[in-house]
Amino acid sequence: MALPGSKVLQLPARLTGDALLRQLALFALLIVTVGFWVFFSVAATGFTSDFNLFSLLRFAAIQITIGFAQMVALSIGDMNLSVGAIGGTAGMFAGWVMQSLGMPPEVAVLLAVGFGMLLGFGNAILIIWTRLNSFIVTLATASLITGAMLIVTHARPFSQLPDAFTAFSESEVGGLPVSPLVLVMLAVGAALFLLYRNLSLGREMLAVGANRRAARMSGVSVDRVVLWTHGLSGLLAAIAGMMAIAADHTASPGLGSDWLLASFVSPAIGGTLLSGGLVSVPGTILGGVLLATISSGLLLMNIDNFWITVFLGVALLLAVGLDRLTRAAGGAVT
Amino acid sequence: MPRLRGIAPGLALGLLVIDLLGMVVLSAVTPSFLSTYNLFITGRDLSILLLVALAQMTVLALGQMNLSVGSIGGLVAIIESGLMVRYGLPVPVSLAVGLLAGTACGIVNGLLIDWTKINSFVLTLGTSYVFAGINLGITHATPFYHIPNVIGSFGQARVGPFPVMAAVTIALTLLLAGFLYQVVLGRQLLAVGGNQLAARLSGLPVRRAVVTAHAISGFLAAVAGTLLMAQLGQGQPTIGVTWVLPSFAGPIIGGAALSGGSAPVVGTVLAMVLISLIDDGLVLVNADPYWVQFLVGALILGAVLLGRTRVTNLRALATIVPRIADRLRANAAGTRDQ
Repeated sequence: MALPGSKVLQLPARLTGDALLRQLALFALLIVTVGFWVFFSVAATGFTSDFNLFSLLRFAAIQITIGFAQMVALSIGDMNLSVGAIGGTAGMFAGWVMQSLGMPPEVAVLLAVGFGMLLGFGNAILIIWTRLNSFIVTLATASLITGAMLIVTHARPFSQLPDAFTAFSESEVGGLPVSPLVLVMLAVGAALFLLYRNLSLGREMLAVGANRRAARMSGVSVDRVVLWTHGLSGLLAAIAGMMAIAADHTASPGLGSDWLLASFVSPAIGGTLLSGGLVSVPGTILGGVLLATISSGLLLMNIDNFWITVFLGVALLLAVGLDRLTRAAGGAVT
Repeated sequence: MPRLRGIAPGLALGLLVIDLLGMVVLSAVTPSFLSTYNLFITGRDLSILLLVALAQMTVLALGQMNLSVGSIGGLVAIIESGLMVRYGLPVPVSLAVGLLAGTACGIVNGLLIDWTKINSFVLTLGTSYVFAGINLGITHATPFYHIPNVIGSFGQARVGPFPVMAAVTIALTLLLAGFLYQVVLGRQLLAVGGNQLAARLSGLPVRRAVVTAHAISGFLAAVAGTLLMAQLGQGQPTIGVTWVLPSFAGPIIGGAALSGGSAPVVGTVLAMVLISLIDDGLVLVNADPYWVQFLVGALILGAVLLGRTRVTNLRALATIVPRIADRLRANAAGTRDQ
């Protein structure tokens, strides 16, 4: 996919200069997460039960995959407000293929993920063609996609998904309280890690995010990068949709409507820059695990649901605020 | 030089024509469009959503966003109805406290953005969850039902087909337009939106402009929440949850730029009229309600596409038309020669 003769791009010095600081921030995030695990193991009865660990990790896996879908768009300095719309629509599409067409789950998942990628390509084409801000385009397409899905499905859920499909999310890997969905998330994460570390497309995405103009000047085809980025974002949103309907045992029309905050929180906590040019796959995973841990722990401690909502908002603000502080400390000019 | 005027004549005129056409078509297709009751219902929805759109427009004028308009509206409705129902406070006091609280939420947004320099999208996404969480904490998702009758009857009050609450919206719209176009601070707000660095370097009070815009946004969202509470006749915790899309649709279709510097009050009003016509038309022809969401999305895309291509298309036309004319003339000459 690389242009002939194009080399893997070197990142600007600004982004590699504070690498140590970022490693420290990641380590701090790990310590905080472990700290919460220890705290809840003692304070919240049932936190370490197999049942709770299983659902906690499965919830985290879905949240992290939603975060990946946004992280990819953020990496080039764009946003994708249609992550929830694409995930929900792909989920409904898969439900229709399995329940109404009676096709096997493997086929349904492949088709739905491809459908999600197509929707992502649609976003990209509109962004490239109109030269409009990704915010406006994906705000409009989110509304178009969800509206079309509701019109076509009459907002009726698909609740008779094949057992083979739903059993997948309930099975345990190697007798441990780990759903295969966690493995799916880890595989996706590994692929993204390789993309950003080793493939020229990934490096070009970061270059476009760090400085679009400079990337264009140095021969990166920005349009091609935008196309693949939004396609990938749609694909990841659809994978998250598949995971969610597998876990819920039903494809409901409301799926994805509350993904917006979730999609930003995990990457932001994990150190992904919202302005583009810097992503962290391990950070997004840790961020998602931390959020799932705290939500689950607070729930078990019978702490009011509203605190969890407030906490999510504050977590996003703290993460972005801390990010600005560390960057200021690292001498980065903003 | 950013456009400081709020009126893009071409766009506003186009929207006006579409609005009028829409009204003519609707009254021809469904006679019930012109019924007093339908006009009242539509006007009432418009009164509320227009305030939501103006709340977003004021912040867009700065080049910023406010994703918390909905959660501020919901929180305000809950505070007001809670004070009246749970604590028995008099109506004016409750409303004053609620509106102040909504303005305070906006001020918090503005101060945090100015202080932390965090992107306004992310910051207000974060605070929207905090406000929604407080709402949930107060209500546990249960509405406050028995609010004083005076509120509910205000929500149902009408003069002929005109909802009384429209007076509030009209007054606030005029005040906002006057503030943005005539008052020094309003002009400064638009200047900051046009170019923040230039505004700072020329000594404009950037922080005051940012905080003022967000305070106005919070206040308008608060009034919208109050009016919706009056319309519903109860303090619903879900007030505002669907406002994000219309809040952006109005200003964007009306000609606002995300980069700031323009505050198209007239365009926003006309765009919201168009959206309520679509909404009402779909209800009247018994269409699937989900078409609204689809069409509003299409409308946003269509409007920004038109806005984007208008200038270039005209330029292209200006070069193409003479060329086509030349070609035609040449052809005509050719046929004559034969």
